[in-house]
Amino acid sequence: MADTVQEFVFNLTFPFSRTLGSTLSTFASALAQGQIIGVRTGGRVIAPPLEYDPETAADAGTEWVRVGPKGTVSSWTWVPEPTNLHPLDHAFGFAFITLDGADTPMIHAVDAGSESAMSVGMRVEAKFKAPADCVGRIDDIIAFVPAADPSPSEGAGEPYDAPEENDITEMDAFCDLTYIDNASPTTTMWAKALMEGRLIGQKCPQCARTIVGPRGMCSVCAIELDESHVIDVPDRGVVSNFTVVTPVQYHGQTETEPFVRCSIMLDGADAVIAQQEILDIPANDVRVGMRVECVWAPASERSVADIDNRSRGSGGDAILGWRLTGEPDEPAELYLDRMM
Amino acid sequence: MSHQPAAIVGIGQTHHKRKRADVSIAGLVREAAQRALEDANMDWGDIDAVVLGKAPDLFEGVMKPEMYLADALGAVNKPMFRVHTAGSVGGSTGIVGSHLVSSGRHKRVLSVAFEKQSEGNAQFALGGGKGASIGAGGAFAPFIRAYIRRSGAPEDIGWMVAVKDRLNGAKNPYAHLKLADITIDKVKESPMMWDPLHFLESCPSSDGACAVVFTDEDGGKKASKPPAWVLATAMKSEPGWYSGRDAVNPQAAHACAQEIYKAVGITNPREQIDCAELYVPFSWYEPMWLEAHEIAAPGEGWKMTQSGATALDGDFPVNMSGGVLSSNPIGASGLLRFAEAALQVRGLAEDHQVGGAKLAIAQAYGANAQFFAMWAVGSSLNPLG
Repeated sequence: MADTVQEFVFNLTFPFSRTLGSTLSTFASALAQGQIIGVRTGGRVIAPPLEYDPETAADAGTEWVRVGPKGTVSSWTWVPEPTNLHPLDHAFGFAFITLDGADTPMIHAVDAGSESAMSVGMRVEAKFKAPADCVGRIDDIIAFVPAADPSPSEGAGEPYDAPEENDITEMDAFCDLTYIDNASPTTTMWAKALMEGRLIGQKCPQCARTIVGPRGMCSVCAIELDESHVIDVPDRGVVSNFTVVTPVQYHGQTETEPFVRCSIMLDGADAVIAQQEILDIPANDVRVGMRVECVWAPASERSVADIDNRSRGSGGDAILGWRLTGEPDEPAELYLDRMM
Repeated sequence: MSHQPAAIVGIGQTHHKRKRADVSIAGLVREAAQRALEDANMDWGDIDAVVLGKAPDLFEGVMKPEMYLADALGAVNKPMFRVHTAGSVGGSTGIVGSHLVSSGRHKRVLSVAFEKQSEGNAQFALGGGKGASIGAGGAFAPFIRAYIRRSGAPEDIGWMVAVKDRLNGAKNPYAHLKLADITIDKVKESPMMWDPLHFLESCPSSDGACAVVFTDEDGGKKASKPPAWVLATAMKSEPGWYSGRDAVNPQAAHACAQEIYKAVGITNPREQIDCAELYVPFSWYEPMWLEAHEIAAPGEGWKMTQSGATALDGDFPVNMSGGVLSSNPIGASGLLRFAEAALQVRGLAEDHQVGGAKLAIAQAYGANAQFFAMWAVGSSLNPLG
């Protein structure tokens, strides 16, 4: 089925944000100034600092300590082929580095040139971005590099006086995730029919319900349905319920004005297809009981790239929407309970 | 089922806000947990096991937060459980915590639930990261339209719930929304968000957390403050989507309540239960759940709202805390309901206390109105005498 997608590739992005809380704000604000700090708690220095003692969960307090910028590798692994999500674009090591003045290791990249340059006990030092580019994120440190001079860091272990107000209290956490959904046999049948301008359902041999869009099973009887249960269903029906949504303007939102989404009971079917778009009439004129028919995209413009295994009746870009047939409404009370 | 009694001896929650800019996620859950430990007169080391609940990870974009939060919640070298049952998760988190005690496995268990909605966007997350998300309001609006038509309820019932819950929330120092000057007209005139739901009939988006400490019978009897006793717990599920499903009146909602009533010996819920915290993120869900949980007869739930029976001074107060309509840190919202029911029977609910409450129920629901969690709590192990 060359004309039908077998895989649905979806790229999910979102600009999440983190509020740091007072401890991590202090750390981030110091980092933006080129200073790495830890916190002294339970008789040791934890760096980067935590809000709590990880052993006991007791509050860690605010006894800040200068650490680094040099430290010692206590364990490491080599990343020979970095992806676009790694901190460096060439082969590098990830290492546990115990910074001078600290008692606990932190994880960061080591730009060592080659795997053979890495070793437990190696002395490394932080290489910061240019001061103007530092924003209080852990990647203000581009990487650790082998220390030119292995002697102890100057000032490490000394107290750090935090300013009363931290400059940096939030951090962006941009999510960029691509995943692939393999089309199930039922989804593939549904998508193929859409490309041909047809709607299909599956008729359960036990309860005789016709389910659209097909799911490969009857949820009522809990039995599997396959190609032998597929039947064509009409591309016309009745609006059984709807909502008019005022869109919230989130990242990736495609709507700016209130939009309607309808549940449609196709003629002869027993399950509605949900979240369908109504064309040509204002959102507030949509009524339960309206007779509608499918408006197909021209065959050459149909696409099912945007559906997936959980779409359950989504027409992708094969269906433009639904329009009034001009027939009289059916009585609303016959349909209003048909939300599913 | 043979089991040991479980007592609630500590309850804590954060102040809920649109954005808690002053804390990290770890700081947020610790704020609630530390209040619960203080209420229980305990410290981190007294806890044997930790249960953590929240709604989908995509809400904040922190995957598997239980890994990040294990040491923040004192779970090092202890069992830690992550619970997720969509919007009902807070209730399920409480129930799992109580079971770890009632099973006899642990003596002292901490359940914590949270959401930090300001770090992401719920509409985005519920829409699977695509445009034109209908959100929770858009998903439930058709169910609500069907309920209104079916019951013949007048349109102002939803507005009345919105006002009543916000007036209760104004008495709760932790509530996100404190709208003491709200009126029916303000609700009615607020923008239409998901027809037929107005803006003020909808829950806010909140950052917050809630925590509950459970102990065994001995711990309950020795507690420094009055305990609440977990009398019964129930969770029921059904498929979210099948031909002919009655989403207004889900089977699972009935089954959940029936199991609770049977276990506690409740034969007349309206008479015998002193007050209820029900998951009402959109105003009309108050009458809908009163019916689906068999507190009101079919088609009669709205009459309880209309008559004032569900007000703080009514004969069956609902959502004394202000409910989800006043604070909605989604993952925590269920546990907040469960905790408020416990506060009521402990007599510690202060300005939103129902006088003499001895038996209370709490409920949370989730996903496509398909997951239900409920418990009944009492001021004693046998509040019906």
